[in-house]
Amino acid sequence: MAGRPTARRRGIPAGYIFLLPWFLGFFGLTLGPALASLALSFTNYDLIGTPGWVGLANYVRILTADSKVAESVRVTLLYVALSVPFKLGFALAIAMILNRGIAGLPLYRALFYLPSLLGASVAIATLWRTVFSGDGLLNKVLLQFGIHGPSWVSDPDTAIYTLVALSVWQFGSPMIIFLAGLRQLPRDIYEAASLDGATPWYQFWRITTPLLTPVIFFNLVVQTIDAFKAFTPAFIISGGTGGPINATLFYTLYLYQEAFGYLRMGYAAALAWLLVIAIAGVTALAFLSARRWVHYEA
Amino acid sequence: MGTIEIGRRALLGTTAALIAARAQAQAATRLRLYWWGGVERAERTNKTAELYTKTHPSIAVAGETVGWGDYWTRLATQAAGRNMPDVVQMDYGYIFEYARRGGLLALDSYVGKELDLSGFDAASIDGGKVDGKIYGVSLGLNSTSIVYDRESFDALGLAPLAWPVTWEDFATRMAAATKALKKDGVWGSTDAGGSGPALEVWLRGRGKEMYTAEGKFGASAADMADWFAYWAEMRAIGACVPPEVQALDKLDVDTSVLTLGKALVGFANSNQLVGYQAVNKKKLDLAMYPATKGNPKSGQYLKPSQMLSIAATTRNKEEAVKLMSFFIADTEAGKLLGVERGIPASKKVREVIAPSLDAMATRMSSYIAEIAPVVSPLPPPPPKGAGEVLTLLLRTNETVGFKKATPAAAGSQFLKDATDIISRG
Repeated sequence: MAGRPTARRRGIPAGYIFLLPWFLGFFGLTLGPALASLALSFTNYDLIGTPGWVGLANYVRILTADSKVAESVRVTLLYVALSVPFKLGFALAIAMILNRGIAGLPLYRALFYLPSLLGASVAIATLWRTVFSGDGLLNKVLLQFGIHGPSWVSDPDTAIYTLVALSVWQFGSPMIIFLAGLRQLPRDIYEAASLDGATPWYQFWRITTPLLTPVIFFNLVVQTIDAFKAFTPAFIISGGTGGPINATLFYTLYLYQEAFGYLRMGYAAALAWLLVIAIAGVTALAFLSARRWVHYEA
Repeated sequence: MGTIEIGRRALLGTTAALIAARAQAQAATRLRLYWWGGVERAERTNKTAELYTKTHPSIAVAGETVGWGDYWTRLATQAAGRNMPDVVQMDYGYIFEYARRGGLLALDSYVGKELDLSGFDAASIDGGKVDGKIYGVSLGLNSTSIVYDRESFDALGLAPLAWPVTWEDFATRMAAATKALKKDGVWGSTDAGGSGPALEVWLRGRGKEMYTAEGKFGASAADMADWFAYWAEMRAIGACVPPEVQALDKLDVDTSVLTLGKALVGFANSNQLVGYQAVNKKKLDLAMYPATKGNPKSGQYLKPSQMLSIAATTRNKEEAVKLMSFFIADTEAGKLLGVERGIPASKKVREVIAPSLDAMATRMSSYIAEIAPVVSPLPPPPPKGAGEVLTLLLRTNETVGFKKATPAAAGSQFLKDATDIISRG
């Protein structure tokens, strides 16, 4: 069918018809609501009443007067700064091990990927809550070694780290991407390096890492955006409160509380737009820095 | 092909059913009924609605139910879309907001006609009033209540919590309970320092209100410091659970430290006895919240555990009111609904269902009768932002519990934050 020109021309409107569902989805469900939320961010919309224009008041309050914003930004940045490097490091390490051609690779690959598939689910967050609670699995194991562990999820000093651990455990998707990247590295360079007497450690820093930078960069950007948007684990583990004492109050969780807990839709819309701007800013910075450390040519 | 054949037949069947359903919906006045609650409540409510449609063939009732956690989000979303269900279950904490924003129908002009409120006492009717007009009708009366493990109390030789137990006594007794238990990881009481209802009862015992009639926060920084200090002392003497245990309690039946077997005493509502007993092996009992020394009255009050309201946007005002009236005043409906939502406000219904109540339901009724002489009147309505103040209270109590602030500092910080929240609305 594609071979004949007439058929191809006839295919153009058909193509648009096939694209229609996507267009409808994009304009009706993504772009439309996004623009509506931008408009609402300048109002005091509360879902029940009619929205009243308040100008920049929401933004002014967020940036100058809301102590919970400061708290939630601090929690979110801590989460991003810890979870992204650890997760990428872990993913790369596992990918390197799997890349050595061990038997049963597809099985291991699938097993390691599994947590990522389950990761964002409510069930896993609930499981996590149980594992890290005072008389949870982790403390029972620690007790075998004579260690009395704290109640990790409900202690304000440790709660955030259980969320970081949950994120690191879901290293599957960056791992698969790293693995694909490692597969493409030219073997002959390593052979030459070995002949010249380079240690594996030296090879890792001087060959693997530079050649892999485009993949690292891709993973870094995707995982950072994901970490900024993380919501489900904190919501489930703290029961939606961001507790104990706001120790797990992610920015997204605070946004949710304002919107659906207290019905301040206008304010929440403003919070959401600031998040979009922040993520765009961080991503732009990443791309700027990439010029210095990402090598696209071997 | 066989598979296609089956698919087509199934499709035809579904279409036929849809057409039939639409035909029925067109013939009847369709009313939507929306409530929160568990499986037990859904069964009772659906049966009651079925009974109504049997005697009123021109009416079709479509029930919708979700848990408390999602209920208000969904209702607010529907209200925003001008698509609110005709008859909705309503809570005292939300009725003011919905009524004042024009979301609910004022019911005064229907009383004595479509709406039968005969045999309702004044307290039940007043609980559904906003600015002098009736916007909600009580589905059942309840009050706050301690729910406690009476079986263990008896086994340990601890005296039951009979009114009046002062707050000071309560502390001593709970510390004694923890000692008597001689068990690691189990304490006498829940840490109720973050519980809004407990704070309210405590404040009212001192002659204050949580919220004044003008909608301001009614306690001083010193009151709040005393409150946080009371619970700090409770934790210090081992009378209540430590903060990291309390932090996992989501303030509902299933995750409460009572249900998890970490405390013998929980702070709850009287109609929740049924729900708590269902998930607790030991035999539970009800008791009043502690008393204030020198005050013969309790700060507790009788209130509708939940109400029914009508959406202002309903297209069938009279029919919606009639359905509502059936739920709250009809004796046959009363038999189906039981006391699962609290003690029915209608005297007539109460008398009819009394002989058929089981032990738990009887205990709930006797509790309400026992406390009636010592309770206080309904407090002024909570202002906008009251829900957020509850979250603030929970968090501030945690701050003290984890020793990140002294009770005194927490008291003044709380007052400042609460005032800020309420002024923001």
